[in-house]
Amino acid sequence: MRRKLIYSLSAILLLAVSLIAITLGAGYHPALGLDLRGGISVTLRPVTGQAYDKSSLDLAVERIRERVDSFGVGEPEILRQDNAIVVNLPGVNDQQQAIDLVNVTGKVYLRPVIGCQSAVTSTPVTSIVGTATSTAGTGTTTVANTTVINLPTATTGATASSGTTPTSGSPGPSRRVNSVPPTSPVSTTTPALTATPPTGGTASTDTTVVAGASTTTVVSGATTTTGLPFSDPTATQILPTRDGGRCQVGPSGGTGEVFVRDSALPRIIGGGWGVTVDLKTGGSGEGVWNALAKECFNATATCPSKQLAIELDGQIQSAPTVNAENFTGSVQITGSFTKDQATKLAQVMNSGALPITLQAEAVQTVSATLGKDSLRAALIAGAIGVALVLAFMFAYYRRLAIVVLLGLCVSGTLIYSITSFISRFYNGVLSLAGVAGLIVSIGVTIDSYVVFFERLKDEMRAGRSLRNSAQRGFKAAFHTILVADSVSLIGAAVLWYLSVGAVRGFAFYLGLSTLVDVFVAYFFTRPAVLLLARSKFMSGKKIMGIETSVDATQALGATS
Amino acid sequence: MTEVLAPEIEVSLHRTARARLYHGETRVDFMGRKWWGIGISLALIAATLVSLLAQGLNLGLDFNGGVQWEVPAANISDAQARDVLAANGVKAADAKIVTVSASGVQRLRIQTSEQPADVRQKVSTALAKAAKVDIKDISSNSVTASWGKEITKKAVRALVVFIILVALFIAWRFEWAMALSAIAAMLHDVLISVGIYSILQLEVTPATVIAFLTILGFSLYDTIVVFDKVDENTARFAGSRLPYDDVINVSMNQVVMRSLNTSLAAVLPVLSLLVVGAGLLGAISLREFALALFVGLVTGSYSSIFIASPLLAWIKGQTPKYKAMRGPRAVGVDLERLVMGGSPAARRESQRLRAARAGDAVAAGGAAVNAPASLLTHEPRPRKKKRR
Repeated sequence: MRRKLIYSLSAILLLAVSLIAITLGAGYHPALGLDLRGGISVTLRPVTGQAYDKSSLDLAVERIRERVDSFGVGEPEILRQDNAIVVNLPGVNDQQQAIDLVNVTGKVYLRPVIGCQSAVTSTPVTSIVGTATSTAGTGTTTVANTTVINLPTATTGATASSGTTPTSGSPGPSRRVNSVPPTSPVSTTTPALTATPPTGGTASTDTTVVAGASTTTVVSGATTTTGLPFSDPTATQILPTRDGGRCQVGPSGGTGEVFVRDSALPRIIGGGWGVTVDLKTGGSGEGVWNALAKECFNATATCPSKQLAIELDGQIQSAPTVNAENFTGSVQITGSFTKDQATKLAQVMNSGALPITLQAEAVQTVSATLGKDSLRAALIAGAIGVALVLAFMFAYYRRLAIVVLLGLCVSGTLIYSITSFISRFYNGVLSLAGVAGLIVSIGVTIDSYVVFFERLKDEMRAGRSLRNSAQRGFKAAFHTILVADSVSLIGAAVLWYLSVGAVRGFAFYLGLSTLVDVFVAYFFTRPAVLLLARSKFMSGKKIMGIETSVDATQALGATS
Repeated sequence: MTEVLAPEIEVSLHRTARARLYHGETRVDFMGRKWWGIGISLALIAATLVSLLAQGLNLGLDFNGGVQWEVPAANISDAQARDVLAANGVKAADAKIVTVSASGVQRLRIQTSEQPADVRQKVSTALAKAAKVDIKDISSNSVTASWGKEITKKAVRALVVFIILVALFIAWRFEWAMALSAIAAMLHDVLISVGIYSILQLEVTPATVIAFLTILGFSLYDTIVVFDKVDENTARFAGSRLPYDDVINVSMNQVVMRSLNTSLAAVLPVLSLLVVGAGLLGAISLREFALALFVGLVTGSYSSIFIASPLLAWIKGQTPKYKAMRGPRAVGVDLERLVMGGSPAARRESQRLRAARAGDAVAAGGAAVNAPASLLTHEPRPRKKKRR
């Protein structure tokens, strides 16, 4: 029994020490929420009255994350909470920039490709950037002399045999890169498998911009030059592909709404992964699609590359080469996709069939100084609060309060480590509400000790020895603690599931500290008190306002 | 193991109220004073209802929608702020401007109706210029009215689900009468807390709502500590035909110190948040939170004793089992007997000692009525020998 207690006690102390050592050693620390470090928080919700489902919201979250990441905002927090999306951008203080940043439409555009450049290139990029910055997005007909465009190709064998299927020349999955001599300007050169390259002349007939431009000019208000551009479906634009390449695309010829909702499926076609999708019948579906297909299949001036780009929020998801002029019913997109890529593409096409328009419902800017002040105030107040509670415990329970002190240290260590781990690995942050939740939970933790110690007193008053009382007292007290903590946990869980924003942070830390409370009560408080009760340290002294057995006997001897 | 001589002997030695409280030897007739508690609660609830009907709640921005800026007020006055608003096409007349003090720095808090994003940005920039501060030092908050409604809806939904789940849990763990009483006490706490916010016209923010929800947890925690003891005592006095009022009285006397201590332990950090964090250091966001919590904690401990328990006694008193047992409550020394009636060994010991001290009037008077020993229908089972 005694050995078991010592094991339990040393195990939890070891756990606490090693956890804090790992946390501090690896330099993990709780990420502070927006309200503690300043920044902008935007809460988005689909505009009322439109049909949407959770998956399109999830996709929107993913899109926002890609976009925010591409602008290099540090430690952003992007969460879907029920039917709302909360985006927290620490360190950002331009409201307009924040709103632009999270403004994803979820709309899929079908745009004819004028030319593409792969990410894997050995061509002189410098010259491309140099000419492009002055022209990109302006719609002028400038043609750069030195531009080299590499077009990735679909691997052989991926071509589908069916008459109604286009073959993919998707820039994403392709690995092989063909380059053309630098003498052909603004051209898309395709390998033998795909269509004939258009000449520089045809390319410059329409509004033409040089490919391979840096996106600096396209992005407004961006802090870095690497951000994703904002889609403008009415103009000719240079947009990045998923694998880091860039394509120049013309104005949108149609949206993802030509596809039947939820009909896009990733499947194995001709030995490789591809996507099949159904077209809506009639003019709004097949009509729109076939007009585009015809344009591209015939390599007209607006679609010299024969490729049709599927664009979502300023990023080209895939740019398959069109292999037929006329489609009925369904479309197959093939290429050297991996399973994940095909799944992702299908997801995009499905969401495009049901785009959601998000609206910023709440925008909150917190100044960095105000946040810092709040944190400092909360920490100082918390420290004083803990000190007061401990003083009270020592005044009331005397030596037994040492257990409270150590117990609070153990809980504190565990909670700090867990919070740090969550910040590090799950992108969670500690907000002011969370800090408040933790300070409040000090009260809950102390409650457990009080319940136990009062119980211990009851038992001793009933004439049991300290050692015996500790054992019986814990059993009864733990029962009470479990019931009371269960109610706290139910509360935390309900708040977590049914609320948005700050309330969630609070609920999380309340729940966490309640769990830690139960854990510490059983694995630390129990062995600590039971061992103390056996030790000489507690015997013969006045503890917790009631005399131990020795004293009581003496008192009795004196009175009788 | 040798049975220890009873510390219960000490009981009769602690005769001051403070000492008795400290040693957990109270004999307060809570049930006899229940009308005081209920009366105070009814008065508070009446005041709450009147205030809610008359002036309602001062709902913050997040519930009604609108825009709010906070600007360091060192270089900007009310009138200047209004000029800035007017210059950017915001109706300055409707704007609500107050000065708040945070961390020793005066800040202007400007509230207007909903504004589009570009106007908000322009106003922020203009305010920063007028106040001669960096735009980073300006906080702004904009919420649409529909979102405010959504938040309210969610909070109400969370509350309803929470109450149902907790009621089911208590009913499963204890019994239905307790679930009803605990929930009633909890609603009482929330109602009074809301009432204080309404009477003093304090602003209700999402932080306040969080605090209200926390109150529910605390209120229940306190009530459950009491009920756990009641549950235990119900079993203990099961064979003795003790009226339920007495069971409750005994339980409350046994847990009063525990309740006081747990409440004090919970109130201290919150009080520190309120006084030190919000008061001295001026973190407004902490005040919103701490004030509601403080009020809730105080009413929470109060209601577990003066609302939940009498209600439980009343509900249980209606059941046929306890109806039959109604009788005069044990008070004074008799109550103390019941409260202190620990283990049989201790009781035997104390009886022996009291008999020895024949002159002790307290012992003589107390022996006659309702002592737990006389209530037992059979001798307690002898203690099993256990190796330790």
